[in-house]
Amino acid sequence: MPGNTESGRAMKNRIKVFRAMHDLTQDALAQQLGVTRQTILAIEKGKYDPSLELAFKIARFFNVSIEEVFSYPGAP
Amino acid sequence: MSELTNICDLMKQNTFYILAGIIGLVEVGMFWFSVRYMIPYLISAAFLVGVLILYLAWRSITDRQTDERAVLINQKAGMATFMVFWVIFFATSLGSAVIGLGAPPFPHFPRPPDQGPGRINESIKPFGDGQGLPGESIRPPDDGLIRLGHFGYLQLALLFLMFFLYVGFRIYYARKYGEWESDEEQD
Repeated sequence: MPGNTESGRAMKNRIKVFRAMHDLTQDALAQQLGVTRQTILAIEKGKYDPSLELAFKIARFFNVSIEEVFSYPGAP
Repeated sequence: MSELTNICDLMKQNTFYILAGIIGLVEVGMFWFSVRYMIPYLISAAFLVGVLILYLAWRSITDRQTDERAVLINQKAGMATFMVFWVIFFATSLGSAVIGLGAPPFPHFPRPPDQGPGRINESIKPFGDGQGLPGESIRPPDDGLIRLGHFGYLQLALLFLMFFLYVGFRIYYARKYGEWESDEEQD
């Protein structure tokens, strides 16, 4: 289920880095993905973990694998 | 009908809020009218129609911004409201059941001696010229019905509590999921 992890170990992500590489604003990325800017902001700040569908959309938009964008603390 | 559909198709989010405000005012007016002329079905029907109009208008909003995070916030707030509300509702219902069980099974409500079956109760006499609406016949409700009406206060209080609980939880979860976070991109 998407959302912030109840254990407090939120996923890490590099969306901000990829955004900067593609010279994209949060608003522009949000429009491309069909979500609100607040959602992109919440994901970047670790306040919200996206659904698998949105995570894949983000990875495909930047043309990278999902592991390059998202990582989970403690995962190998 | 098609013109109405076209108007609805053009509805923006802010137009919806204005419409909701107008409908709210109309509902308040209907409630006042219903109380004044003792027509309980009027406000019930008006409320149902108002909700139906709002639902149809809400569906036709063109610039509605909903995504998975907003849905999650609504779900969480709704579930938390339900969890708290059913406990309060159960407790209140238990108290009401005790009152009901403590009362005699067939209560007798004696009518005041100065009021015959067809006489208008002074307390519900219409304002103004006292004639009421044309063709209107006013019958005094029996005491049991009035007591049932008083029970409505409790129900309304519980519904308002439910509403405020939802708003509170909505704010809590919106904050938790970064609704009011700001960063360097924000104006």
